Amino acid sequence: MSTDPDFTGPTTENLVFDAAEAQRRRRGSTLVRIGDHLKREWQLYAMLLPTILWLIIFLYKPMYGLQIAFKDYSIFRGVADSPWIGLEHFNTLFNNDQFLRAVKNTVIISFYSLLFGFPMPILLALMFNEVLNQTFKKSAQTIVYLPHFISSVIIAGIVITAFSPSAGIVNTVLGWLGIDSIYFLTKPEWFRPIFVGTGIWQEAGFQSIVYLAAIAGVSPTLYESAVVDGASRWQMMWKITVPSIMPTIIIMLIIRIGNILEVSFEMIILLYQPATYETADVVNTFIYRQGLQGGQYDFAAAAGLFNAVVAFVLVMTANTISKRYSRTSLW
Amino acid sequence: MSGVSLKGIVKAYGALQVVHGIDLEVQEKEFVVLVGPSGCGKSTTLRMIAGLEEISDGDLTIDGRHVNRVAPKDRDVAMVFQNYALYPHLNVADNIAFGLRIRKESKETIASSVEEVGGILGLTPYLERRPADLSGGQRQRVAMGRAIVRRPKVFLFDEPLSNLDAKLRTQMRAEIKRLHKRLGVTSIYVTHDQVEAMTLADRIVVMHDGRIEQIGSPMELFLNPVNTFVAGFLGSPPMNMVNARIVAGDLGPVAEFGDNKIQLDQVASLQNSVGQDVVLGIRPEFVTVADDTVPHRVSVEVDLIETLGSEALIHASLQGDPFVIRTETVGQMNVLDGISGFTIAPHLIRVFDAKTGVSLPGQAVGQ
Amino acid sequence: MANMNLYSRGDKLFVIVNMVLLGLFTISTLYPFIYIASLSMSTGFEARAGNVILTPVGFTLEAYKQVLSEPQFWISYRNTFIYTIGGVLMSLAFIIPGAYALSRPQLYGRRFWNLAVAFTMWFNAGLIPFFLNMRDLGLLDSYFGIIIGFAVNGFNIILLRNFFEAIPQSFEEAARMDGANEFQVLWKVYMPLSKPAIATVALFCIVSRWNGFFWAMVLLQDEDKIPLQVYLRHVIVELSDDEEFATTLLTSAYSFETVSAAIIVCSIIPILLIYPFLQKYFSKGILLGGVKE
Ligand SMILES: Nc1ncnc2c1ncn2[C@@H]1O[C@H](COP(=O)(O)OP(=O)(O)OP(=O)(O)O)[C@@H](O)[C@H]1O
Ligand SMILES: [Mg+2]
Repeated sequence: MSTDPDFTGPTTENLVFDAAEAQRRRRGSTLVRIGDHLKREWQLYAMLLPTILWLIIFLYKPMYGLQIAFKDYSIFRGVADSPWIGLEHFNTLFNNDQFLRAVKNTVIISFYSLLFGFPMPILLALMFNEVLNQTFKKSAQTIVYLPHFISSVIIAGIVITAFSPSAGIVNTVLGWLGIDSIYFLTKPEWFRPIFVGTGIWQEAGFQSIVYLAAIAGVSPTLYESAVVDGASRWQMMWKITVPSIMPTIIIMLIIRIGNILEVSFEMIILLYQPATYETADVVNTFIYRQGLQGGQYDFAAAAGLFNAVVAFVLVMTANTISKRYSRTSLW
Repeated sequence: MSGVSLKGIVKAYGALQVVHGIDLEVQEKEFVVLVGPSGCGKSTTLRMIAGLEEISDGDLTIDGRHVNRVAPKDRDVAMVFQNYALYPHLNVADNIAFGLRIRKESKETIASSVEEVGGILGLTPYLERRPADLSGGQRQRVAMGRAIVRRPKVFLFDEPLSNLDAKLRTQMRAEIKRLHKRLGVTSIYVTHDQVEAMTLADRIVVMHDGRIEQIGSPMELFLNPVNTFVAGFLGSPPMNMVNARIVAGDLGPVAEFGDNKIQLDQVASLQNSVGQDVVLGIRPEFVTVADDTVPHRVSVEVDLIETLGSEALIHASLQGDPFVIRTETVGQMNVLDGISGFTIAPHLIRVFDAKTGVSLPGQAVGQ
Repeated sequence: MANMNLYSRGDKLFVIVNMVLLGLFTISTLYPFIYIASLSMSTGFEARAGNVILTPVGFTLEAYKQVLSEPQFWISYRNTFIYTIGGVLMSLAFIIPGAYALSRPQLYGRRFWNLAVAFTMWFNAGLIPFFLNMRDLGLLDSYFGIIIGFAVNGFNIILLRNFFEAIPQSFEEAARMDGANEFQVLWKVYMPLSKPAIATVALFCIVSRWNGFFWAMVLLQDEDKIPLQVYLRHVIVELSDDEEFATTLLTSAYSFETVSAAIIVCSIIPILLIYPFLQKYFSKGILLGGVKE
């Protein structure tokens, strides 16, 4: 740009000056502008308000209530007026064998679910992809997605019935093999296999949808050129399909690891008994028993806070990693 | 009078200012076209007029009413969008009627208006169809129908034809022009297609980086661009730009570049600018090709000749820089043979200050 | 990939083995349902003796008679309908306008509001504070408490918001130029255009309402208010521990097992009825929701 003093067109200085001048004029009227904006768009805020209020009342207010983890909570005094006692509940917690057992069980059960449950949907998706008969494929998919939509109470009911010592089909079959009937649900060593197996049975089919979508995104030209090169279907599966969906697999794995503390405790509540607490009791069922059944709200809230903070850190870490890995975040 | 007046209109997104104070008076029934390169703020300006963007500073008046803070629906303007924004779940008739329904017009009014507009735009056979079942041109017409059915004071168009193929675009362009003649509604039209601008506009507004460079009738802008930006933007192929210096000659000012000299117009500003570095703007259409026999020609080296039938484009180089010439071929059998240069009448050359790009004053080509 | 004849022998074998394995998995998914259905229609004696394998043994509908003649079953069934329908309507009433507002670029503080929603998916105060809050709000043992207390869910909001965001902004602008206010834009343009996404969210809500039991179990003591799943848990889970009770229930016509199976069948049926829709929209929904911030 020119520095010619006679020049009247836009110079850099003029531009800077214009912008600064305009901004100065605008800044004076920020309130007016916000007022104008609200007058124009108040309906949007009216639409947002109920949701925000709901979040505050039902989700953010309980976060404020979490302070009872550091208090000697009394129902009569309420959250705000109960006296502070610092980290006492956490001290008790980390010296509590049941709690430590629950943490251990949570991690172990999650680990087994991951180990056995994670590959299953991938395998299913690959297998569905190799089915040529569309009718067969559609009906099989319809069936394997179904258990996802069935309530955990019913699933538990089916498990209890099937594993029942007297009438259950499992013991009937064992009987044919000459094995004495086993009361599975009272045996600590059987709890984890049954729980993990049930989880896989219920969710593997549905979880395969994500991978099927990833497979659907693979360019058909890759397969066509492989066919021309004489590749077998087995080779194409391992050389084309699996590498193509690898990013999805890795992201799902990161997410699953991030959610390692998320054990479906509702199902555990339905299936466990005092006899199996030893292997079945997880953090949330521990909280449920101590707090909601036992009335030790402050102590249980401390356990819950511990759980929530660790889970938050894990989830955020997983989200960050997967974002970096794929540029798409979790949600 | 349903004019539109912009005074010092500014748009800023936070600290980022994208429109820097625009002044524009659109007369009643006038068809004004905003052109400019991508990102220069045409759409933003149009959307401020529509009320879809808040105005950061300045005053906007429609039909004599100050409307800065008036909601879009109360400004009595209608807009045609680049992607048409036809409601996919409604058929053509319901799309056209949408605005009337929202405004709670009576059933009879709606029915008769839709019928009339359908007739005007030749949509009558398609009224029951969904937008997805229409061709591009038909969709375009529905979008126009939705705008005109409300009989607004002002029409706003944001690149309404850019999604059509070349042939349809020409056809719809003519249709818009006809419609404007028929309805006589003040229109502001955004495009970056200069042919659209030239053919449709009563006046063209050339924008650049959030400012107005020049306002004028199409011919005015074509013949008398105020600076090199406007000169280079309008016209296809664009004006040739040649760096030169003004020297005194026997018959008045002369532009000198390399071994070449061209006689310039004898206007005061040029006569007083002897010794100044300038840019010569030479329209490809204004030169006359010359062969070796012509004296005082500017010599060029011809690289390539594109024959288009009635005319030809000659791609040449002038002292190493590209130089394009457009010449008629009809009735001039051997015009393309042996071209080695060109001549041009002095008054057809535009002279710009080499530093600022602004046209030296006093030059004017009458129409 | 159509013509099997073009395949090499190895490929044919691969395809067939694959189909057989997949068939086995499918059958093992289906079998428990068949087993339960057969059990529910067998006589109590055969069931107890473990003779039911695949088809009903000694076909009888006594177990169903027993279930349907229990007043608590009908009370719970009715309550589940109340919670499901009320809950879905309540959820949509919050989520649709909320998601729409969050999808609008002109909303001030849009990033902040979106973060406020997303944060609730990452951090959760936990069972105890939520319970105490419901109690402090006076929402224990209340229909309204169950319906309102679970109305909003970050995932559903974000799913719908993403869908709204994908609709070109010019639809909103065109409608506003046509004179519509924001409510009319949403109601007359964005909602009709988002039917699949709204259906997905509605189905998410229906399923989670129909199946939800944990909070109903915790928040409701009054038997007149408990939903089907809580009743089911009471019968199947709690009573199954009670061998003595199970034995007293045993008659030649029905047994504890056949009655349990019959209740299960009764409560699955509504889910099976909407399952075709579920299948159609859920896979879409999963993919819609899981994409971006
Ligand atoms: N919401 C926004 N926030 C920040 N900058 C914006 C926003 N919208 C537009 N801009 C900027 O404003 C400038 C003008 O944009 P505008 O859409 O008006 O350009 P245009 O002249 O219509 O271009 P085109 O021919 O490509 O449509 C651009 O540089 C653009 O990047
Ligand atoms: Mg634009």
